[in-house]
Amino acid sequence: MSDPTQHPLSADAVLSCAGVRRSFPVGERRLEILHGINLELRAGERLALMGTSGAGKTTLLHILGLLDRPTEGSVRVAGEDAWSLSPKRRANLRNQKIGFVFQFYHLLPELSALENAVLPAMIKLSRRAFRSNRAEFLDRATTMLTRFGLADRLGHRPSQLSGGEQQRIAIARALLLDPPILIADEPTGNLDRGTGEKVLEILLDEQSARGVALMLVTHDERLAKRCERVLYMEDGLIQADSSAPIPT
Amino acid sequence: MFRTFLSLRYLKARKTNWIGMAGILVAVGALVLILSIMAGFLEESRRTLRGNLADLVIQPSFQSSVLQENGDWVPMQTDVERMLEIIREDPDVVAATPQLQWYGIFAPDGGESALEKPMQDAIQLIELVGIDVEGEGEATDFRESLEAEYGKKPGMGKFCNVGRPEDVEDPFVNLRDVRQRRTRLKVPILVGEQLAYLWGLRRGQEVSLVTATYDEASSKLNETAANARFQVVGSFRSKDNETDSRRIYMDRRALADFLQRDRLWSAVLVKLDDYERDKDAVRARLWSKLHAEGFLSAPGIRLNEFRTWEDFRATLLAAIQNEKALMGIMLSLVLVVAGFTVFALLSMMVTEKRRDIGILCALGATPRGVLALFLMIGLWEAVIGSALGALVGITGAYNIDAIERKLSSVFGFQIFNREIYLFDHIPAEVSFSGVAWIVGGAVFSTLLFAAIPAWRASRLDPVEALRHE
Repeated sequence: MSDPTQHPLSADAVLSCAGVRRSFPVGERRLEILHGINLELRAGERLALMGTSGAGKTTLLHILGLLDRPTEGSVRVAGEDAWSLSPKRRANLRNQKIGFVFQFYHLLPELSALENAVLPAMIKLSRRAFRSNRAEFLDRATTMLTRFGLADRLGHRPSQLSGGEQQRIAIARALLLDPPILIADEPTGNLDRGTGEKVLEILLDEQSARGVALMLVTHDERLAKRCERVLYMEDGLIQADSSAPIPT
Repeated sequence: MFRTFLSLRYLKARKTNWIGMAGILVAVGALVLILSIMAGFLEESRRTLRGNLADLVIQPSFQSSVLQENGDWVPMQTDVERMLEIIREDPDVVAATPQLQWYGIFAPDGGESALEKPMQDAIQLIELVGIDVEGEGEATDFRESLEAEYGKKPGMGKFCNVGRPEDVEDPFVNLRDVRQRRTRLKVPILVGEQLAYLWGLRRGQEVSLVTATYDEASSKLNETAANARFQVVGSFRSKDNETDSRRIYMDRRALADFLQRDRLWSAVLVKLDDYERDKDAVRARLWSKLHAEGFLSAPGIRLNEFRTWEDFRATLLAAIQNEKALMGIMLSLVLVVAGFTVFALLSMMVTEKRRDIGILCALGATPRGVLALFLMIGLWEAVIGSALGALVGITGAYNIDAIERKLSSVFGFQIFNREIYLFDHIPAEVSFSGVAWIVGGAVFSTLLFAAIPAWRASRLDPVEALRHE
């Protein structure tokens, strides 16, 4: 999948990249992490990205999530060439089209569970607009958190919550604005098996119910098997697609 | 929305931010309090410096003739009644009165002692001022100076033994006991409180005044000095030390007699309706009118013919103003220190909150939004700190006497020794425009210092920031 010309975009691709390279300066030379990645994520698709440590998975995820700029190549989010946009419009794309779930939850410690969950809406809206829609967003976040089993934890700070609870809040935060893309970086990697299973169920259930395209970085084969497509990365390249036989 | 919400939340949750706020509070509070006290002291000093000076003082040079604009020389006019008429016609003039000023030697032991004994020991140079009591009271603070509370020296209690004249409304009357004794009545005089203190004068005491006189017809000095005895009937306190230690008031006609003069005046004092508002306009107006009538030289030629009271004290007033400005500049350095505190605390916060900044970027915050977030933290600190500081400063200034008394009782010594100063209270004047400037300056300087860490926060790479633990 390294040649962008061989893989024209599907009509329903919500996230794609073409010819993405990423290198970092190391002393006087440059270390290339990604060697030209072409990828597309279709609406509602569940895609797992696997690979050894240092293969470039997280770097690719950051580039697809518009947190990092590729040295070469382009990234399209919901049909827009993200890096040709102004920083403000790119930030809007990140806010409204992409939901992030991180391995280490990344909640703001000063905010309660409910406040963390509505944070994307606060970032999206002006003070006045948020005030007039405050009840709706709080209701939406409360409903989600209740569904995730956190009804009695809404006012708790992250430090008062377990890892599983924190990750459920992170999922609610990622889904608050109904983004078409969900990017999850080892969402169960920091949880014990039982808790991880529960969190994963919630994540996959929500993804199916909402028809969100999910891109998941994982080391867990069992989790990968629950995805429609699995990509294997090695040395900054996508070496295999699950449409081909999975290497053992 | 997140900027306001998060900045307030960070402010509330992180107690270290309160240190910055407390720094601003202390700086603004101290600045407001000290500048208010300074302003109070300076205003009191200004009033003290003024003494019994009138708003405007006209002192013609009494030359033989005055050059008019058309090139003609006209004889200089000396009809004070006409001059007063012109002055009183001005709508902004409240009162005008003539005065006769001269200089002499004060020799309480007798006029001869002025020649027999060395200077300073037995004689003193003095200012002889002949007045009309009613007019002087209207044009100057003369009457207040007669009624002023008597000053005290540390540990000496009331130091002036002369005191108020028997009748403040008509001070130049001979004392009752002198009248009863039917002795030859001496001319009554009022002496400055400091003069009375220095010479240990008592009410009713007779003193000698000596002065040189001249013959108005020939404009030559008389061969013999005027030497006469006068009776001290009261003292006054104008608060201006120089006036109170050098001036002697007496009736204008009595002084003219002593000087053997026909012309009963040498100056005209003018009081304005609103000095600050009218001083320049009235001076310009009157000067040209009086010049046109031949009383004064052309405006601006002889500056000491027409002066405001501030012209008499120009150097000291400029020094006071300069001192105030210097004090303001020095004290504003406290604001810079408070700004540095905010800078240090925000810099620490940006380092600590790197991961949060990464999270916010991942959730869609722009670099500008992150910049605004940290600037807002600085803004809250500045606004809350300086508002509370202003409140503390203003409250402190209005209650400075009570605070001083409380502190004095706690520390066991008098912080403000009322016997040393001319004031019986700590003067403090709150200028609300000054407070607004201080608060504005505090907010501006804090924002300036907050801008550096805020800018650093906005430049953070979100990927690096997310990796931060």
